[in-house]
Amino acid sequence: MLEELASTFPILTCILFLPVIGAVVLWLFDDEDMVRTSALTVALMELALSVFVLLRFIPESAAMQFSEHVPWIPALGVSYHLAVDGISVLFVGLTAFLAVLIIIYSWDTVRHQVKLYMMALLALETTTMGVFLSIDLILFFVFWELMLIPSYFLIKLWGGGAERHYAALKFVLYTLLGSVFMLVGIALLDINYHQWAMLRHMEPTYSFDLLQLLSVPIPFNQQVIIFWLLFLGFAFKAPVFPFHTWLPDALLEGPIGMAVVLAGLKLGTFGFIRFSIPLLPDASKSQTVVAVTMALGLAAILYGAIMALIQQDFRRLLAFSSISHLGFVVIGLFALNYQGLQGSLLTMINLGFSTAGLFFIAGFLYSRQQSTQLSSFGGMAKQTPLLASFFLFIGLASIGLPGTNGFVGEFLILLGTFKANWLYGGIAVTGVIFGAAYFLWYYERSMLGPLGKAVKESMSDLHPREILIAAALSVMILWIGLYPAPFLKMMNGSVQALVDRLEGGTVASAESKQPIRVD
Amino acid sequence: MTFSFTMSPSDLLLLLPEIVLTFWLCLILIVDFSFPRLPNEQLAYFSIAGLVATLGCLVWFDVAGITGTLFANMFALDRMALFFKMFIVGSTILVILASVDYIHRFKFFRGEYYFLVVMSALGMMFMASANDLLSVFVTLEFSTLGFYVLVAYLREDMGSNEAGIKFFILGIFAAALLAYGISLVYGETGKLVFSDMKTAQASPGLAIGFLLIFAALGFKIGSVPFHSWIPDTYHGSPTPVTAFLSIAPKGAAFAILLRMFLVSLATFRPIWTLLLVAASILSMTYGNIVAIAQKNMKRLLAYSGIAQVGNVLIGLATGTKMGSDAMLFYLVAYLFANLGAFAIVIAVSEAIGSEEIDDYSGLGRRSPFLAFSMLIFLLSLAGVPPLAGFIGKLYIFVAAIKEGLYVLIAVGLINIVISMYYYLIVVKKMYISEPHDRSPLKVSGPIKVVVYVCLAGTLAIGIYPQPVTDWVVSAIMMFSDVADPTAALPAPPAVIPFGG
Repeated sequence: MLEELASTFPILTCILFLPVIGAVVLWLFDDEDMVRTSALTVALMELALSVFVLLRFIPESAAMQFSEHVPWIPALGVSYHLAVDGISVLFVGLTAFLAVLIIIYSWDTVRHQVKLYMMALLALETTTMGVFLSIDLILFFVFWELMLIPSYFLIKLWGGGAERHYAALKFVLYTLLGSVFMLVGIALLDINYHQWAMLRHMEPTYSFDLLQLLSVPIPFNQQVIIFWLLFLGFAFKAPVFPFHTWLPDALLEGPIGMAVVLAGLKLGTFGFIRFSIPLLPDASKSQTVVAVTMALGLAAILYGAIMALIQQDFRRLLAFSSISHLGFVVIGLFALNYQGLQGSLLTMINLGFSTAGLFFIAGFLYSRQQSTQLSSFGGMAKQTPLLASFFLFIGLASIGLPGTNGFVGEFLILLGTFKANWLYGGIAVTGVIFGAAYFLWYYERSMLGPLGKAVKESMSDLHPREILIAAALSVMILWIGLYPAPFLKMMNGSVQALVDRLEGGTVASAESKQPIRVD
Repeated sequence: MTFSFTMSPSDLLLLLPEIVLTFWLCLILIVDFSFPRLPNEQLAYFSIAGLVATLGCLVWFDVAGITGTLFANMFALDRMALFFKMFIVGSTILVILASVDYIHRFKFFRGEYYFLVVMSALGMMFMASANDLLSVFVTLEFSTLGFYVLVAYLREDMGSNEAGIKFFILGIFAAALLAYGISLVYGETGKLVFSDMKTAQASPGLAIGFLLIFAALGFKIGSVPFHSWIPDTYHGSPTPVTAFLSIAPKGAAFAILLRMFLVSLATFRPIWTLLLVAASILSMTYGNIVAIAQKNMKRLLAYSGIAQVGNVLIGLATGTKMGSDAMLFYLVAYLFANLGAFAIVIAVSEAIGSEEIDDYSGLGRRSPFLAFSMLIFLLSLAGVPPLAGFIGKLYIFVAAIKEGLYVLIAVGLINIVISMYYYLIVVKKMYISEPHDRSPLKVSGPIKVVVYVCLAGTLAIGIYPQPVTDWVVSAIMMFSDVADPTAALPAPPAVIPFGG
């Protein structure tokens, strides 16, 4: 994973800044339709660029590809370093894909301050891309923090719920709390590198660059400390149980577009696989870490699923199902074997189609009933057969029916977990059953059976724009479900490198058992 | 000890910036008295011209590398002094620009206002060069003299008068502590120049003496527990004076603190680190928690300023070169964000006559420019990337982690979260709350210039900090050569690749 393939054309920089430049251009327009069209154009261009990267990406390789490297703050060793590898490249495509769908969805569902909404959305796209593309930890942190600003405004200004102010503030403060700890972890990595570089007379003396940090050993005790600091940052964002309390609020009160981003793009768990596990392999496989993360993951699976069972509100149900799914991702990651890591990575992508898809469904329901409470649904399959069918299909993907993408991911995770420890695997399997239960039960009550009291006779079915969204998601779900090979091939190289790194530990970490001080 | 007052032309050269400014100070008075009908703006621009000339001298010195000491080491002109002088002159220029509109609120002595501002700036420039305890006392009192008058400049306003009295009494008290501390230190060591005291032996008298000096300087920078004058004085003073008070004297006092701790007391570093850690933790926590409850924008900025000083003290507490570099960087970032925020307070107060946070409701619609700039400044103060404040905090935290000050870091980080909360309250008012009155706000030219400069500074330093990091690294490097605190600075070769 230390190998780098530089690109002649700075395509990643284009991907990174195209949306925010688009947002600035939107500022010039006054006409709302013009704003929508241009936002969609920008998002489509972004998608085209991302697809280009996906096509040109060399599969089965662990190398950092399309790499761009420019010093930024040499005094502290911060650089502007972008690259994609098997771990991040699919997220880039997913982000661009979801952004297009969100803009299409928001076409007529967002009615006030359309321009600002689209600008915030595009700004959010840039920051999210930044998180996925950054190889330098400070650059990563910059985008990680910057995400909060458009998110805050999106929840606060376009949220539907009465408690949206509270939800927005809670979201920002919780994430910030986690990320300040993460910043300390990042700084410790830098200091560790510095001490090593001073001893070996390496240049540069300070560095936040993932590739350079990977090249120096980190004493075990320090690895553990850094691991937990980074863990807090990622766990709050993911959110891993028990740091999840902001999620149901944010998803319920915020607009659908924001919910799709929060539930569909698993930034927190991406952080684990991008930074924590490769940088701190010895800590990651230490007994305490595995035990705690597995316990939290399993607790999340069961807690999320049981909480989802009793939810009346569809969006809250999705929030808890999201927490449950994240539990799967976490146990897959900390199974620390090939299948587990691969399954987790694929599941993170899958959730971007299935959970995010269900949030779109929630949006479709909301725009018909102005509510996502169970009491406002019932027997809707008769009025809206298309909506009900897509609902069922995407829902089945989310609970992992064979033939859909969810199955491939969950199967790999369970396989990896069983390999690591049959007990963990056994507990996780029950989560799958709960998952099927909460979804099917909710589906039955809302879509089948007699017509609900609040359901109007003349409810319209999906209109073309909504069909486009649901169909696009369904195509992706089927594609990954039936023929996952191209996607798995892209990640294989990096996952294999990660497994090798886990076996080897940090370079010669035995050499530096005691911490080294320079001064 | 004998003082020699023979001065050569090359000695005079070292004083050139101060001489230029003194000369200009006289010109301001002469022009003011000779042309009583001269519009006030003209006098403001005239003062700025003098300050720009001084800044030009300072830049020339910095580029040409002109340094040296005068008057038997009382006056040191090293790169660090040059840094702080530029810092002070730059902030004075911005403050005068921000005052141009505000000045109509003064019924009398409008011309003298500029005189007093420039005079305080001159005093602080000397402070930045003060290299022994006597010159510390003299220059500190010289710079404060102007402020005593400026704080109470709104003669009809009870708040301003109250602020003046409070500032004066506590200021005099701090001066007395300083004088007492100096006499104790001199009694114990028989030395006045900072670099001569390096060999001093620990004794109770010396400890009490330095504690008293620290108290007086703590009063200047407004760190807890010497902060009690800050909220009322900031609230009552004319807003441009508050802005001036919130930035320039802090810079000058930090120059003295750096010399005192890193040079004189280098050998006692483990002891004073504890003192500074305590002051830093108290300042950050107290400032941020009390800021949450504020209803008035100036008071909010006052408490946030106390907290920011706590952050700067982290850099001082490390006692290393990297920590000192980080302090200077942080001060520059703070200069832009803080002066920018105050400029907006002035602009809003000129337009709607209020400084209450509640009256900022709907600012985003009434003046998108002001609201957006305020957003940037507040986010920079909170330390959100990629603004200047973030790089500053990062720099300071990296320096502190390197020294293993983990408790301090933990408190600092929790404080970032707390501070985000009250900055977001203001953001919410500006962007989410409905305006009481929908009419757009007018912003005058000079204020716009100040806001643009601060905005450019905050963004540029955040996105491309290298020039400033190079600058602060070289400022502290030269300071260490002249004053020679090598004892306090670990592994000099380790830091050389910094700037490159």
